[in-house]
Amino acid sequence: MPSSPSKAVSPHSSIPAERHRRGAKPRKSSTDYTKASTVLAFLLPNGLGFLGFTLLPLLAALVISFFSWPVLGQHRFIGLENYIRLFTKDPVFFRVFLTTLYFVIGYVPLNLVLAVAVAVWLNSGIRGGKLFRLIFFLPVFTPMVANALVWRLLLTPHGVVDYALTLFHLPSPNWLGSDRLAMPAMVLMSVWQGFGYNMLVFSAGLRSIPRPLYEAAAIDGAKPWTRFRRITLPLLTPSIFFGMVMTFITSFQVFVQPYVLTAGGPGVSTTTVVYYLYNNGFQYFKMGYASAIGWVLFAVIMVATALQFGLQKRFVHYES
Amino acid sequence: MNPSPSLPLNPDGLTRRGFLTLSAKSSAALLLLRSASSAAAAQKGALSWFMWGNTDPEINLWKEIAGIAHKQDPNLQIDLTTAGWGDYWTKMTMEAASGGMQNIVSIQSQRTPQFASAFQPLDPLVKAQNFDLKAFDATILQALTFDGALRALPYDFGPHIIFYNKDLFKRDNVQEPKADWTYDEFLQTAKKLTHGNQYGFAAFPYPDFCFPFILSDGATYLNAQGEIDVVNAAFVKAYDAYAALVHQLHVAPPLPATQDANTGWSLWTAGNAAMVVSGPWDVVNAKSSAKFEFGLARIPKGSKGSITVVGGSGFGISSSAKDRNLAFKAIAALTSDEAEERLASAGRAFPARKAQQPSWYKNAPPGSEEILNSTLNGGVVPFKTTPNWQQFNLLFVQYGIPVMNGQTPAATALQQVQAQVS
Repeated sequence: MPSSPSKAVSPHSSIPAERHRRGAKPRKSSTDYTKASTVLAFLLPNGLGFLGFTLLPLLAALVISFFSWPVLGQHRFIGLENYIRLFTKDPVFFRVFLTTLYFVIGYVPLNLVLAVAVAVWLNSGIRGGKLFRLIFFLPVFTPMVANALVWRLLLTPHGVVDYALTLFHLPSPNWLGSDRLAMPAMVLMSVWQGFGYNMLVFSAGLRSIPRPLYEAAAIDGAKPWTRFRRITLPLLTPSIFFGMVMTFITSFQVFVQPYVLTAGGPGVSTTTVVYYLYNNGFQYFKMGYASAIGWVLFAVIMVATALQFGLQKRFVHYES
Repeated sequence: MNPSPSLPLNPDGLTRRGFLTLSAKSSAALLLLRSASSAAAAQKGALSWFMWGNTDPEINLWKEIAGIAHKQDPNLQIDLTTAGWGDYWTKMTMEAASGGMQNIVSIQSQRTPQFASAFQPLDPLVKAQNFDLKAFDATILQALTFDGALRALPYDFGPHIIFYNKDLFKRDNVQEPKADWTYDEFLQTAKKLTHGNQYGFAAFPYPDFCFPFILSDGATYLNAQGEIDVVNAAFVKAYDAYAALVHQLHVAPPLPATQDANTGWSLWTAGNAAMVVSGPWDVVNAKSSAKFEFGLARIPKGSKGSITVVGGSGFGISSSAKDRNLAFKAIAALTSDEAEERLASAGRAFPARKAQQPSWYKNAPPGSEEILNSTLNGGVVPFKTTPNWQQFNLLFVQYGIPVMNGQTPAATALQQVQAQVS
């Protein structure tokens, strides 16, 4: 390890031998304070944002979740009642949670597999690779609401998809009106919208894999599939891990798709946890109940993320 | 565009055309709102007034109405703040919660129970100022009453009736609806008008649109205590019959999952459905967006006759308003003869004042007067709702779509709705 620049400019600070000689508690020199305040100053913008916009609202939501908190009318402390209702009395919460899981399980693997496949394809030196990369990335930076609206127009009865299918005398299902097809339609739309981001991350990961590895493998007679399995995939796992964790988190929080595409219906077949939270908070104005839902989701995402970090050791390959 | 009393602009969900503008405007509007209300507070003696409005002509019309009030009584300085129909309810709720409500607040009858606690009862003021309520239609006054107290003075109202596309009737050689037509005649008419991509009727499981059929079939949606009851046998049966229009008789198109209550209206204005349910507030929209001749018809007679719901909107006094006497004078002026006359002639509102209704008919399709009069005189009930109506509305549509499409039995879906609103 090279010495850090701060050490280089202040050679007199924190010399262990001196500290030991002076006794029990090391006194901090003024340069220590300068250093600490520099660190603080750098942390401050982010720290204040985190405090004001993340930590405080999070704690406030926790407090509110113990209240019956209608927007109009009296707030009343009710202890754990919101949570008890959520898990024992709510006629749809369990269903809503399963629906969200359905989305996560459908969306995350599809997204990752497609992103890896397209990234590898675009990195194989095809012509116009950069243009294709831009095209696949386009949906990521167009607003989700606009994307979802367009998909709704495509999939609605008498819409474009309907028209195209009937043109070829194919049966045309009512995509957004069927409780079996609405969720797959939502997953497909989301994959189309979201895989470009992971594709870009994986492309960067692919380019950092040293070329000589492939050359050596080719000389040893490794076929393309073997090279992909033995070199590309293992060396890409750090990127895949990052993509997986982020995609997991965002897919648990899916909201815009049900909001715009299906309004949570038909029935509750596309009502996700966040959409349910939104309805409770901002349509039915049950803020306490909505906060409780938020905290349950927070806990679930935290556990799921921790599990993935635990699994990291098993499959993620880091260059030492 | 007229969002009241119910929907072209879909109060609860979002419309294609409305959503993008609403979401883009909302943050800017919030800032404007703040500065507007603080400006109003600064101006001494001024009353602030919160109203929905989506387009410049509409907002200008409301400004004109505030001007009429000022002309009638120079003490009335009314400062108008507006928000789009969708944002209006969210903002009003937030302001009511923070105690920063405007003095005069506009309210739709279906939402009266939900917001009643934020409004002052008007009855003592009506009595004290010797105000004549008899000039207004009685049904809309009832619809704006909650817990025995009147919450707002109405400016408009309207029964839900049938709009039909005269051109399609002519082309398919189908007889136009008679004033007293029956449900069977309606069905035969719808069947004759259904072929290819064209449907006889546009059904949608929004309470406002299907309740007229359900009530005409003898069912009720509230129990004796005024609570939602959509699982009683009569309701389930009537609702099932309505859904059959889509999945069994195929005279109405299948539906995508959506909260966009404009779905049916869009099909009708595009000429893909011959009939649709709406109200007099949509006549002005139909005239501007439909490229065909249209007429109005009564809800077809069911086993109980032809019964429809009447909703409307008005202006109330917020519970935080200090000078309630002045505020009452203001809402009286905003709903005065002259004000409602202006709203009627602009096509903005079917006036709640009976004497001003003729000016509205001048711009309505021929025959409207007969249809509306016969409806109002013998086939209307006030659109009574509950404090959790918003939730009911959303769930009723959400669970209604698969029933319409024939995927969920009516009884199952209604039980799920009922379980969540009880």
